[in-house]
Amino acid sequence: MNPATHRIGLNNGGGYAPGLNAVLTGVVLAASELGWEVVGIRDGFEGLLFPERYPPGGLLPLSPHVTEHLAIAAGPLLGTVARTDPFHVRIVNAQNQVEEVDRSDELLETLRKEQIDAVISVVGPRALSVLWKLSRKGLKTVCVPTSVENEVAATMLSFGFNSALSSAVETLERARQAAEAARKVGVVEVLGEHAGWLALQAGMAVCADAVLIPEIPYDLSKIAEKLRKKLQAGRHYGLVVAAEGAAPAAGQVAASPANPLRASLSPGATGHEGGHVVERSGHVAETVALQLQRLIDQETYPLVLGPLVKAGTPTAVDRQLGLGYGAAAVRAIKDNQTGVMVAFQPPELKFVPLAEAINKVRTVPTNSVFVQVARALGISLGD
Amino acid sequence: MSTQPPIGMVLNIQHFCTHDGPGIRTTVFLKFCSLRCKWCSNPESIHPKPELAYNPSKCIGVKECGLCVKECPESAIFTVDPDLKVKINWDLCTNCGKCVPVCPPQALSLFGQEMTVDQVLDEVEQDSTFYRESGGGITVSGGECLLQPDFSAAVLAGAHERGINTAIETAGNVPWEYMAKVLPHVDTMLHDHKLTDPARHKKWTGVDNARILANFKKAYETFPDKAFIARTPLIPGVNDDEEHIRAVLAFIRPHKNVVDYELLPYFRFGESKYGFLGRVYELADFQPPTPESLARLRAIIDEAFGRTSQGQSLPRP
Repeated sequence: MNPATHRIGLNNGGGYAPGLNAVLTGVVLAASELGWEVVGIRDGFEGLLFPERYPPGGLLPLSPHVTEHLAIAAGPLLGTVARTDPFHVRIVNAQNQVEEVDRSDELLETLRKEQIDAVISVVGPRALSVLWKLSRKGLKTVCVPTSVENEVAATMLSFGFNSALSSAVETLERARQAAEAARKVGVVEVLGEHAGWLALQAGMAVCADAVLIPEIPYDLSKIAEKLRKKLQAGRHYGLVVAAEGAAPAAGQVAASPANPLRASLSPGATGHEGGHVVERSGHVAETVALQLQRLIDQETYPLVLGPLVKAGTPTAVDRQLGLGYGAAAVRAIKDNQTGVMVAFQPPELKFVPLAEAINKVRTVPTNSVFVQVARALGISLGD
Repeated sequence: MSTQPPIGMVLNIQHFCTHDGPGIRTTVFLKFCSLRCKWCSNPESIHPKPELAYNPSKCIGVKECGLCVKECPESAIFTVDPDLKVKINWDLCTNCGKCVPVCPPQALSLFGQEMTVDQVLDEVEQDSTFYRESGGGITVSGGECLLQPDFSAAVLAGAHERGINTAIETAGNVPWEYMAKVLPHVDTMLHDHKLTDPARHKKWTGVDNARILANFKKAYETFPDKAFIARTPLIPGVNDDEEHIRAVLAFIRPHKNVVDYELLPYFRFGESKYGFLGRVYELADFQPPTPESLARLRAIIDEAFGRTSQGQSLPRP
């Protein structure tokens, strides 16, 4: 990209994280220093694909005038979508038939018409593949990784994780106190379908009795043994933190939920046609609580934090990271490096080709320092 | 005009069906649907082309195998440590099917294959004895079979030539021309009245019901000698109310060729297929209707048809 580039687009293409406005501010300020224009696209690419849905317009001009009065802690100015996908847009066609159509060519043409030279997209792991496909079709894009579970590989820290962790720790501390007051064992479920970073780091921070993560299949008898010892020592409560993707070890049978505690987003509530991303939560909390209760002869109760951790105040780390990622994304465009993802590989911010960023999930290695510390603290990992 | 017989995209041929029209029938399920009902138990029937299905429980892992990872031209198959089973990146998968033949445990398969009219009828004809004894025959269903009108018409016409009774199952959301092309070869048309209110119909199926109802009315009037059976897939909390049942009865009763109205209780046996396709089943919290509500609504239908008991067969599995 030559320095003549002067108009870049920005959107949130993949999920909500606290403090997305920090990335926006970083992009706007850095671009403004170069004399460039920034235009925000509402709700992923919906502002361009369905402009009629946005009476104020699907695009929002951004400038330091906007960002200096923008609270970083507020909800994202540009909105967001669970996952952007212009390759499968559900429409009702002229024959009154529902179909999924590929509108990627149309999207690229619209971007050209709007004279948007490149797009910075804040995306989670699922949307990375979509942005990669768009970049292969000619879209100049730089992606900023966001994941409250910290599961984007190639970057040590995804935007939003630190804030979610802080939020989880605060709530888990309350859960621990509540369990102590009630003399019960709380089983708290947190986000983490594929990677257990949030459960592990938050559980460690509150000195939970056990942490269950997807990477380590659990044997509940090991946790029961630990809890029994604690109860016999006169400490009549416990706290188990479980990632939603945690699963029992082979040969272990998970209990069926007595009353499924599913917080699924019913289509009756959303009314949104086409979108079929449904957050499910509660299954692990329910089944572990049920089975553990039988093993330790002490009352357990399930609790689901789920998406609640996304609604925290962005921490200082995420503010810095967001601003830094935003500014780095602008620098990448200036250096003609597109089709890349910004990555924090301490001590530097680097650019990783999207082809290398997709199909990878940053899971907890068994020799991770967090695992070692957790074990040293006597936290059971169920193995 | 093409003289080649049409080729169809067939999902499945299921023998010994007793809830897809009179008698014992063989049901031919075609791919392609123009609705997106939230309760759909056949998500693999929606897309018109063959689709990849992946059953992770059958995967033997990349250490033992890993052949599919090497075969995929789109980098759509990958693994995540420490799990040895593969995962599919559904955004990158183009359903080319190259991974299917190299998978030893058949964890990877394709939903949908092309078949000729004769291939379909040769299989259907195997149960001719049952059709004769029970008053059964062939039912062409889907998906929406009327979205392959040439193929459906050819299969049904061919069935008649082989002395086999014919039926179709349709939701009616097609151009009238498609219905008009196929119906001459149909003895019984089973058709869905899913919801009455147009806005709610759109919310739960993707489109409103104006054209659907217009098609049904025109079919009743244009083909007075055929048998029509109305149906409602009964989804608790969505359409399991008296208002909808009575509205359907008001619509069908003026037409004497609508010989029955069946209620099909909601079930979730198709839920696992969503996972195989990398999709999410939205109705996680929904339960089947209670026997009491089913009986209450069926009594309303019995009364409208002037009969004391419907002689209902067992709830559809």
